[in-house]
Amino acid sequence: MSNNSNKWFSLNFSTEKKEATGSCGCGKESGGCGSHTKNIEVEKQKDGFDQVFDVKMSRRTAFKQLTASLMIGAGAVSSSCSVIAGDETKEKAQIDWEEQFKGNYKLMSKEEQKETVSRLVRSYQLRTGKTISMSSKNSEKDVLFGYAFNISKCQGYMDCVSACVKENNQDRNSQMEYIRIHEMKDGKGFNFNEADDNYYHEVPAEGHFYMGTQCFHCDNPPCVDVCPVQATWREEDGLVVIDYDWCIGCRYCMAACPYDGRRFNWSKPEVPEEEVNKNQHYLGNRMRKKGVMEKCTFCIQRSRAGKNPACVEACPTGARIFGNLLDPNSTIRWVLENKKVFRLKEDLGTEPKFWYFMD
Amino acid sequence: MINNYKILQILGCLLLLAVVISSCKKHENEYHTIMDKIEAESKNYHGTSISSEIHIGDLKTIEITEGDQTFLIPERKSQIKSYACTECHTKPLDQMQNTTAGKRAHWDIKLNHANEKVMNCISCHDGNNMDNLKSLTGSTIDFNNSYNLCSQCHSKQFEDWKGGAHGKVIASWAPPRASLACVNCHNPHKPHFETRWPARFNTQKVKERE
Repeated sequence: MSNNSNKWFSLNFSTEKKEATGSCGCGKESGGCGSHTKNIEVEKQKDGFDQVFDVKMSRRTAFKQLTASLMIGAGAVSSSCSVIAGDETKEKAQIDWEEQFKGNYKLMSKEEQKETVSRLVRSYQLRTGKTISMSSKNSEKDVLFGYAFNISKCQGYMDCVSACVKENNQDRNSQMEYIRIHEMKDGKGFNFNEADDNYYHEVPAEGHFYMGTQCFHCDNPPCVDVCPVQATWREEDGLVVIDYDWCIGCRYCMAACPYDGRRFNWSKPEVPEEEVNKNQHYLGNRMRKKGVMEKCTFCIQRSRAGKNPACVEACPTGARIFGNLLDPNSTIRWVLENKKVFRLKEDLGTEPKFWYFMD
Repeated sequence: MINNYKILQILGCLLLLAVVISSCKKHENEYHTIMDKIEAESKNYHGTSISSEIHIGDLKTIEITEGDQTFLIPERKSQIKSYACTECHTKPLDQMQNTTAGKRAHWDIKLNHANEKVMNCISCHDGNNMDNLKSLTGSTIDFNNSYNLCSQCHSKQFEDWKGGAHGKVIASWAPPRASLACVNCHNPHKPHFETRWPARFNTQKVKERE
C-alpha cells in the first residue's frame, strides 16, 4: 500500500490515485433498530480493507477468501501486464479489484460512496456500452417515510406490480415481484391461507376484497437484527436497505421477516437491455447479482428525489398513499390521524411503517 | 429477626427496581411505539429541502382552500375541448331545443349516474348559463371547482379527498401537495368503473407451487 489513508489495495496500473478520507459515512442513530446502534460504534474503526483482513477467521474461510482474492488478483495482474490487453481491459481489472476490496456501504464516507458508484457506472459502460445514472443520495433531515394502503379501494388490477418490476429492474426469468396482491373472500377476514395471490380473472371478483403486501420498512426490523454481516440496515429516513455487494446470501433475513417481504436471487437476474431502468440508486434498483437478497425500497431512487414510488404512481384507484410521517400536514399523517388504521402482526413489535385502512 | 426482615424487604425492593429498569431498557430506544416517535420528532419539523414543483412539471394547476386544507388541483377549463360552451350554445337551451333544424349536440353522452329520478342534465348544468355548473340550490359553480358539485352528495368522499385519503396525489410526496380532482378519475356522467383483467399473471409462481 503506497498510501496509508487508502482503504483498499490499489495496483496503480495507469489510473491516478483516488484520495480517501477517514470520516465515517454512517449518521446518527435513532429509531427502533437497536441492533445497529452499539455495534456501529465499535466497528467504526474497522473500515474498508480492515473489514476484510483484520478479522479472526477459521482456516477454511481464510483459504476461501485468499483463493477468491488471488483469482481476481491473478486476473488483474495478467491483464495489466499483458501487452495484448487493451486499456479498457486494464481499467476493468482495476475496477474489479477495487470493488472486491471495498468496505460496507453503510460505513463508507460520502466520497467513498461516490467513488464506488462511479466505478459501477463505468463498469456497466465497459460491459454494455450503455450509460446509466446512479445516485448515492443519503437520507434527508426531517423525513421519515410511511405508507398507507386502502383495502376498500384496491381492485386487484396489479398495475402496481407491473410498475414495480419495471422500475426496480427485477429478474424477468424468475418473474420476481416485490408486491403481492392477495385476493380474499369477504367475511373471512385476513385469512392468508385461503387467499390467492396469483389470480387471473376479471377483477374485482364478486365477493372478494384485495390487499397488497410488500416490505413494510419496519422501524424495528427483525431482518436487520439477524444479518450476520450487517449488509442490511435501517436508514435515517426509515428505509430498510441492502448493500447487495456486502450480502453473503445466507437468507437469514428472509426467514426472520414475518411479512414475506424479502426476495432471493436464485439465478443471475436478467433484464433485457432496452428495458433496464437506467435511473438507479446504489441501495435501490441497480443491477443485482446471483445469490443476494433484494426487496422493496419504497423506490429509494424516486422517493429520495421527492417522487412517489412507482406503485403509488401506477395505482389507478388511489389505494396507495405515501408520504413523510414527520410532516404534520402530509396526507399520510391525515390518514393516520383520521382513519381507522391497523397494521399486520402489530403484536410482534416490529413497528411496520405500512398501515392499512378502510373508507 | 426484625432486622433480617427489613433487609429482606429492602433487597426485595431493590430487586423489583432492577427488574423494572432492565425491562425498560429492553426497548433499546427512547420511544415506546412508532406513533410516539412520529409525534415527538415532528414537533421540530421545519420542512425539507425537497419540493414537488419539479415533479409536477408543466401541469397547469390552481390552488384551492377547503376547510383547513390548502392544495393544488389541475386546472380544468383549458382541458375541456369545447369550452367555452357558449361558443356553440349562443342562445338559452330552451330556445335551441324548439328549433326543428337544430343539430343534436352531445348525443354520445349517456347519463349513468344514480338514476333518472335523482339525476338529469340540469342537476349539474345550467340551461341559462352553460359556461358554469350549478349547485342543487341554484348557485353558480365554476368548472374548475367542480368538486363542489360532487361534494353535495358525496360528502364523506369529499372529507377523505380533502385530507388525502381518497384520490391521488400527483407525482410527489413533498409539499406543496397537488391532488387529482374528482373528474380527473371519475367520468361525471358515468362515475363507476368496469371490471377488467389484471395487468399480469405470474406463470413462474404457478410452477413453483405445483
